[in-house]
Amino acid sequence: MLEIRNLHVTVEGREILNGIDLTIHPGETHAIMGPNGSGKSTLANVIAGREGYVVTEGEIRFDGKNLLEMDPETRACEGLFLAFQYPVEIPGVANLYFLKAAVNATRKYRGESSVDAMDFWDLVHERMELVKMDESMLKRSVNEGFSGGEKKRNEVFQMAVLQPRFAVLDETDSGLDIDALKVVADGVNALRNSERGFLVITHYQRLLDYIVPDHVHVLFNGRIVRSGGKELALELEEQGYALYNEEPGRARRAAA
Amino acid sequence: MTAAAPLFSDPYRPAFADFVANRREPDAIARLRREAFDRFEALGWPTRQQEAWRLTDLSALQTLALQPPADALVDAGTLPTLDGPTHRLVFVNGRFAPGLSHVRELPDRALIASLGQALMTHPERIEPHLDRLPGLEQHPFAALNTAFWEDGAVVHLPRGTVIEEPIHLVFYAAAGDMRLHPRLLVVLEDAAQATVVVEYRGAGRALNAPLAELDLGAGALLHYHQIQEEAPQAFHLGAIRVRQDRASEANLHLISVGGQLARTDLAVLLDGEGASCSLNGLTLARDQQYGDYHVRVEHAQPRGTSEQRFKSVLDGKARSVFDGMIYVCPGAQKTDARQTSRNLLLSRQAQAHSNPRLEILADDVKCGHGSTTGFLDPDAEFYLRARGIPAAQARALLVHAFANDNLNQIRLTPLRERLARLLADRLALDITEG
Repeated sequence: MLEIRNLHVTVEGREILNGIDLTIHPGETHAIMGPNGSGKSTLANVIAGREGYVVTEGEIRFDGKNLLEMDPETRACEGLFLAFQYPVEIPGVANLYFLKAAVNATRKYRGESSVDAMDFWDLVHERMELVKMDESMLKRSVNEGFSGGEKKRNEVFQMAVLQPRFAVLDETDSGLDIDALKVVADGVNALRNSERGFLVITHYQRLLDYIVPDHVHVLFNGRIVRSGGKELALELEEQGYALYNEEPGRARRAAA
Repeated sequence: MTAAAPLFSDPYRPAFADFVANRREPDAIARLRREAFDRFEALGWPTRQQEAWRLTDLSALQTLALQPPADALVDAGTLPTLDGPTHRLVFVNGRFAPGLSHVRELPDRALIASLGQALMTHPERIEPHLDRLPGLEQHPFAALNTAFWEDGAVVHLPRGTVIEEPIHLVFYAAAGDMRLHPRLLVVLEDAAQATVVVEYRGAGRALNAPLAELDLGAGALLHYHQIQEEAPQAFHLGAIRVRQDRASEANLHLISVGGQLARTDLAVLLDGEGASCSLNGLTLARDQQYGDYHVRVEHAQPRGTSEQRFKSVLDGKARSVFDGMIYVCPGAQKTDARQTSRNLLLSRQAQAHSNPRLEILADDVKCGHGSTTGFLDPDAEFYLRARGIPAAQARALLVHAFANDNLNQIRLTPLRERLARLLADRLALDITEG
């Protein structure tokens, strides 16, 4: 459902990604691991359509459609979701209002009428339980004054309400204690099914104990230097990224 | 000789002579008018060489041959209303329109009336208060108002009187190039309470130069709202004087969306211990609109609190000015005075000027000010768009949130909801969606 071909991306003239190839099929969960500065978040932001990232070569296709031609809202309406590494605080916009506006924007895009108020309320309540969110958070402004854990839970909650077909989780584990991590992972796992794809981006193996991926890729210096099964994450946990750092030549050979 | 202030008072001099010749009113009032007119002539038309008028460009106004107000009819349907029971006075071209007005039954000695009529029927209730408050002595249009006011509203509540229903004062300027000088006098004696909503509307290229005087006795409580929604060609040069006695509380909400040039000068004197005022201003401007608040809050007695919160949202080539002074007199210890000015620019050509000023002559006080001007947060916009919300709607949501923060301070629900809708309409935003 997501095909990335030879993707080259520059930020402020500096090449961050230099030739990414990645294919994710429906129902698959892929993990991308890599040290700081390897280009993990750049990949997430390019998929979501954030400004300031220039694709100089290559393409991304989502269900065969050219993703890079779409603005961010169209990507979301097509079923793409990014769980932000740093969720933004939006004072004055209530969480519930924001969610309803988002749901209705997607429905409008599909030519459907606005969501029924009662149906929406039921859906929201059901999904709130999934991430153990308190109802009071619905009335609060989006992410305003939320703790790090609450923000990440709110991302997964939004994902649960919007029910995207493909989700990118950008370091959703960062800043979470083990209990919050489990809640977030349970929320994600509950959404996994044979139709939905996930790309889980993380620095640490820890998250992958709870969200067990089908495939693991190592991103280093803007390239995928190695791919493997879930056991690759454990190997990285033991050996660290130093292997790639010290001997990039060997790393490339390993990827070949 | 350099080009000094143009002799703009020239057309006013014969007009003033005509005006006073036809008034029948107490000598004390006629004397006030003559003194004020002399003051206006001495001050002259403001020029941009004067610091207080440096950013206010009145040249477009000066080219107009403004006429004294004339009678006009207005379709009642074009006038704003407030849901729920109100006391309502309507003025068309500055003149009282009894057919469009109604005052409900009032407690003993409470007065809500046309100022012109009250001056005839209850001069003893008016004369001791009219033009008695200090402040804005150097403001030419305040002087001009005292010289030329024809009518306006008076609210005079005796000690302890509480009026629950909002007092809705509507000033409508019909089409035509007119100069209007409506007057407002609000006197709340000790522990009296009132909620006043003043709305300025119009269809013409008028100069509307109102003067409001708000006098609060000890422990009095006033919620005062001023909504300026005049025609796009209109000029608004308003002035407000406030004096507060001990432990009184004044909450002022000043909303400005209309006019090509709208400026309000506001002088608050906290003249009794523990008085508090909250000044909440919002300007929405687009195209070539200019919106300006000049504010001075003077703490003359100890333990006063004041808060100035002014915001503007500027699109197109719009400009806003906020000039806010906190002045703390010697001896006004334990003063707590705050001021914030926040401006949101929606276009690269829009400009916000913010000029916070503090003069503190007491040593045991808390005073703070902050000023920010910026564009919409691109991260917030991206966050909303990444959830499927179209760019235009995302921006409108963020602007609405910025401005609605000020509207949420308004406790009068029907007014707050109407203004939230006005804001949403201007942003083409459906706020019922949530």
